[in-house]
Amino acid sequence: MTVLVLDGVSKTRGGGAHATQALRDASLSVAQGEVVLLEGASGAGKTTLLAVAAGLLTPDAGRVLLAGRSLAELSPAERRRHRARVVGFVFQRSNLLEQLTVWENVLLMALLAGRPSGEARRATNEVFEQLDIGHLAPRGSGELSGGEEQRVGVARALVHRPALVLADEPTGNLDGASGGVVAEALATCAKARGAAVLVATHDARLEPFATRRVPIVDGRLGEGRSPQ
Amino acid sequence: MQLLVKAVRNRPGRAWLAVGGVATSSLLVIALVATLRGAANSVVAYVGQDGADLWITPPGADHFLRLSGVLPAVLTDSVRALPGVAGADFILRAFVAVSSRRGGDRLRLTLYGVGYHAPDGVGGPPAFESGRPPHTRREVALDRAAARRLGVGLDDTVFVNGRAARAVGLTKGTNLLVTQFIFADAAAIEATSGFAGRASFIIVRLAPGAHSDTVAALIRERFPDVGVFDRATFVANSQRETGVGYTPILAFVDMLGVGAAAVLVALLIHALVEGRRTELAVLLALGAAPRTLARVMIGEATRLIVAGGVLGAVLARLLALVLDRVFPVIPLHFDLRDTMWALALLIACGILASSIPIARLGRVDALEAFRP
Repeated sequence: MTVLVLDGVSKTRGGGAHATQALRDASLSVAQGEVVLLEGASGAGKTTLLAVAAGLLTPDAGRVLLAGRSLAELSPAERRRHRARVVGFVFQRSNLLEQLTVWENVLLMALLAGRPSGEARRATNEVFEQLDIGHLAPRGSGELSGGEEQRVGVARALVHRPALVLADEPTGNLDGASGGVVAEALATCAKARGAAVLVATHDARLEPFATRRVPIVDGRLGEGRSPQ
Repeated sequence: MQLLVKAVRNRPGRAWLAVGGVATSSLLVIALVATLRGAANSVVAYVGQDGADLWITPPGADHFLRLSGVLPAVLTDSVRALPGVAGADFILRAFVAVSSRRGGDRLRLTLYGVGYHAPDGVGGPPAFESGRPPHTRREVALDRAAARRLGVGLDDTVFVNGRAARAVGLTKGTNLLVTQFIFADAAAIEATSGFAGRASFIIVRLAPGAHSDTVAALIRERFPDVGVFDRATFVANSQRETGVGYTPILAFVDMLGVGAAAVLVALLIHALVEGRRTELAVLLALGAAPRTLARVMIGEATRLIVAGGVLGAVLARLLALVLDRVFPVIPLHFDLRDTMWALALLIACGILASSIPIARLGRVDALEAFRP
């Protein structure tokens, strides 16, 4: 089942003399269970593509179908609710909320996705068990290592069983071993939960887990290819 | 919602700082109002005392505090003879210079001298902290705050317009803030003030069953040049007069206090929005509604203001207790309605002021969550 469709999407960022064409006629489909690596240099348009896919940015041209719904036909509030239900995010920095414990950070996402309190708690416990991070639950985000933070970030992205996980350089700030662990956790757990994963990265450690690699250069998507 | 509140809440140190700032403003506002109430209450305690059913005043005077005319003291006998009157006494009210010698220093105050038919006549001290009413011309009872300012206690000697007298009573509920009462026999005040044969007011006690309006009308008919007021009217007029000088100043300073608290909370919420831009961007990206975040921010502002306001109200009460025991010169009297009004005003202004930085939430871009 196709989870994400970008069809001829263009997007200009900035205005006036600083305007740049971040996406040019980009088309891409991501199906359930796929792990797609979006590979390109800094400024190539990777983050813009993720933001357009999530409905955080509105494209100037083209259309976006996310979990079967055209984002252009949704009001901002509907788009926000749809995003909360069907998208999970893993950011380059974990962006855990420092006032909350690790467990609360993950629980909050389940609640934002509209899960009732009891169900959200069960889902949180479940994802902690799946990622084997139960021992981190009571800690504050400031008490975690970089790798631990990102594994919690992965848990937050998956707790509400989203159709699509969007990850922006999830291993960019991690050393070799930690990066490998996070990459594996993201790919295997997402797959186990039936989620599609679109990862903006230029980290080779993610390649073994990818089902497809799509290059992006100056906002243009290249031909996708399966990993060697 | 609870988790969102926790997620964007201020750090404890900063929150306590804000609560402390609002509490200080709240203390200032409530204490200033309580000061005015304290002075007004002293007037009420004196003017509204038992046995003072009607007040006869010189022409043009409708309250106790400020008057320039006097009445002939002999008028008292004529009033006493009217039907419906159980008793009538005059009082002579004059500013008197009161001094003491304490530790070699000469301390001097101008007090509100009240001469009455001591020790039991109407118009004497409404309440005592210690001691008793004066029995002779050489005895006085003075307000406890005045005694403190003069450095005297019971049985010490004070000089009223230069004449020595023994302080035999310390009164309470007789502090008008800018001045205080001193009570002496009318003859003593007459002798020291030069108002012999004169009266400031005549206080009438009604006979059982007599109606104040009927007796007042009769007095006006017989003595058309004087003013006659029932107790409630005279109390209300005197209360109004108490506030005339203070109210605009107190209102102005109160507004400054409320303004300071509002600006403080607005600054704090501004810092909260600016300092938590990334967290707010993450929450927006994850699907939190901007309106919900705004509500959470308003809730945080309200929490700080209410906590600070209530703390200020509690501190004001403590301050009143301490002042009453240590430095009774400033009379504080609290009215629950004043406190509730002050808190409501603080909360309203604080929320209004914090709405400006909360509106800046609209400028937080969810894409900031993607910044490395």
